[in-house]
Amino acid sequence: MTRLLACGLAFGLAVLASAPARARGDVPVHIRIIKGSKKGPAKMDASLEPLKRQLSSLAYVRWESASDEERTMVRGKLESVKLPDGDEVTIVVQDEAPEKVTFEVTVVSRKTQSRLTVEKGQRIVHQVSGEKNGSAFFLTLYATPEK
Amino acid sequence: MRACLRFAPMIGSREGELPAEEARSLAAHLSECPSCRALSAEAAVLEGLVSEALLAKAAARDFSPFVDLVLSRVERTPARRSLWPRATALPRSTPARGRGLARPFLALLARNWKLATAFAVALVAAASVFMYVHRDNGEPEEIASLEIDLEGGDTVLQTSDGPVVLFAPDESGS
Repeated sequence: MTRLLACGLAFGLAVLASAPARARGDVPVHIRIIKGSKKGPAKMDASLEPLKRQLSSLAYVRWESASDEERTMVRGKLESVKLPDGDEVTIVVQDEAPEKVTFEVTVVSRKTQSRLTVEKGQRIVHQVSGEKNGSAFFLTLYATPEK
Repeated sequence: MRACLRFAPMIGSREGELPAEEARSLAAHLSECPSCRALSAEAAVLEGLVSEALLAKAAARDFSPFVDLVLSRVERTPARRSLWPRATALPRSTPARGRGLARPFLALLARNWKLATAFAVALVAAASVFMYVHRDNGEPEEIASLEIDLEGGDTVLQTSDGPVVLFAPDESGS
């Protein structure tokens, strides 16, 4: 009897373990703040290599990473990101589907709001500060929605 | 006397128990020493008595019904049920492989109600978890086109890797 119950329990646990651990609505997002400069020798941090194709189309030639973090965002819940210059950017996952995510990015100091839907594997690069002395901060978002 | 002390532990030893050299020395000593010879004779008699007693004890026990008793007990014991049906019980003419695998499993569940109950409970629990995790929010699935809605007159560069949003030059503060 004990063995049978143990078998059943083990089976149940195995099924539970195989179920996705992430609750529906949770979206892991890789959030970076990067600094782009038009002055100085062209350079790109090695960690920004995946963004090369997007960044190379801009006038900025020197790219440095200012912050890099992974957050698990919940749909509808506002996440705040502080910029090195003290400004604030808020991000909300408005919608998520297996293959795409809709973000709303608000740059508080400029009172601008962008709603962007990206497919899986795509990144958002969003300017979040005005250009000062040839440099500006950018926010990059990379989501891996639940399959 | 010193020789007697040396050979005393060897007296009563069995044949082949002593090395050849020691056995020869003991035999030479016994031929010369009457007291050790007497001791050896006494040991031989004692050993013979013990052996006879053991043999008599063993012979008193009758082992003839042993085999019959064991066989009768084996026949009385019910055959232990195997968890899995024997392979020979499977019909060899089962057309589909999946059906051939399902039948012994169902037969197993039918024969072991406890296992069937445990399996059913686990199945219901798994289904509940699956439904909870994949519950539908009732919202229609959107079409897979990119949607960009900007407030503030910014510009967007569309690349295959994703959108790049830039502030309009006149508002960038440069």
